[in-house]
Amino acid sequence: MQPWHQHLPIYQQLADQLAARLLDGELCEGAQMPSVRTLASCYLLNPLTVSRALQALDEDGLLENRRGLGLYVRPGARERLRQAARARFLAGEWPALRARLLRLGITEHDLDWKP
Amino acid sequence: MQALIEARGLHLHYGRKKALDDLSFAVQPGRVVGLLGHNGAGKTTLMKALVGLHAAEGTLSVLGRNPCRDRVALLEHLAYIPDVAVLPRWARVSQLVTLMAGLHPKFSADRARALIRRTSVGLDDTVKHLSKGMVVQVHLALVAAIDARLMILDEPTLGLDVLSRKAFYEMLVDEWCDGERSVVISTHQVEEIENLLSDVLMLNEGRLVLSLSLEDIDRRFVALGHDPAAADAIAAAHPLLRYRVQGGSAALFDGAPPPEVAALGRRLRPSLVDLFVALTRRPEINRTQGL
Repeated sequence: MQPWHQHLPIYQQLADQLAARLLDGELCEGAQMPSVRTLASCYLLNPLTVSRALQALDEDGLLENRRGLGLYVRPGARERLRQAARARFLAGEWPALRARLLRLGITEHDLDWKP
Repeated sequence: MQALIEARGLHLHYGRKKALDDLSFAVQPGRVVGLLGHNGAGKTTLMKALVGLHAAEGTLSVLGRNPCRDRVALLEHLAYIPDVAVLPRWARVSQLVTLMAGLHPKFSADRARALIRRTSVGLDDTVKHLSKGMVVQVHLALVAAIDARLMILDEPTLGLDVLSRKAFYEMLVDEWCDGERSVVISTHQVEEIENLLSDVLMLNEGRLVLSLSLEDIDRRFVALGHDPAAADAIAAAHPLLRYRVQGGSAALFDGAPPPEVAALGRRLRPSLVDLFVALTRRPEINRTQGL
């Protein structure tokens, strides 16, 4: 019952999980987001926490509020998320990974890497 | 927004024993309030006072009424499952729905049947053939079908296995939490229910040691995860509690620790269980001021 870790606020973790579902295409662009109540009972979270997570996604420009209809996934949200994830990877993870590859003498050929 | 519950200076004695000692708190609409405390801390006594089964000294207003004086009128808008709740063993579920429809003016039989259809219980089932988890779900379905503004649940998940508890929590969030209605729920399963709550009332020996929203708890209390090497320096800053976490040690502070101490560790989300242990072990230094 406890998929949450101690390092980030729960709403942030939920926002990250929903963003991952969006990136995986499980939540489609232009589609309506599940309601606060649906998400709350599905993740067993207080509805206020869920609202805060949705608000965070909205502030990141991933959702749009259609008046009277609720929250929808904004067209272009996936690309936006991908760009952000790429930037995070290149700035945060790649330098260390690259240094490690160099130290181990691993080349493109060893990685069998065909972009 | 008017509070659903307002308590000021509540006292209650059993003979010489103080059962409730100067409690003041409020419950607003749309909240999920966890009432936490060790056995004998006063949880059941407080819940009974809220529904007018115990007369407490002090000021108590529930849905704008005095629970002892206006008990009948109050119960029209309040749903309550006591810790000793039982359903008649001989009855069929459908008969219970009929019974409730005759007893309670705000009960919707259609809604109760719809709620029961969500569970694995059939309307033709007899109570004595249901498991403990099923009985609790039927009970919640019956009570949630009352068009009430406040629900009071005294240890509803006691003795249930993990799947039944999960089903119970799902139904509670799905069918009860609409942003207007509130629920006060007592439990020992603090870890399970923590993320469902919006507020916490912590009782220790009849006294309220904490009455705070989860949001404010995250703001006020700081947990620091740290290496064993930093333990002495952290201890010198007088944390409320030191405990073990996955991959090391942690310390819990009331308020931000000094920056040089904060720099020794990394900030963690304080867990309600740790906070509970910290506050009920040394209650004398932790009275929360005011409402």
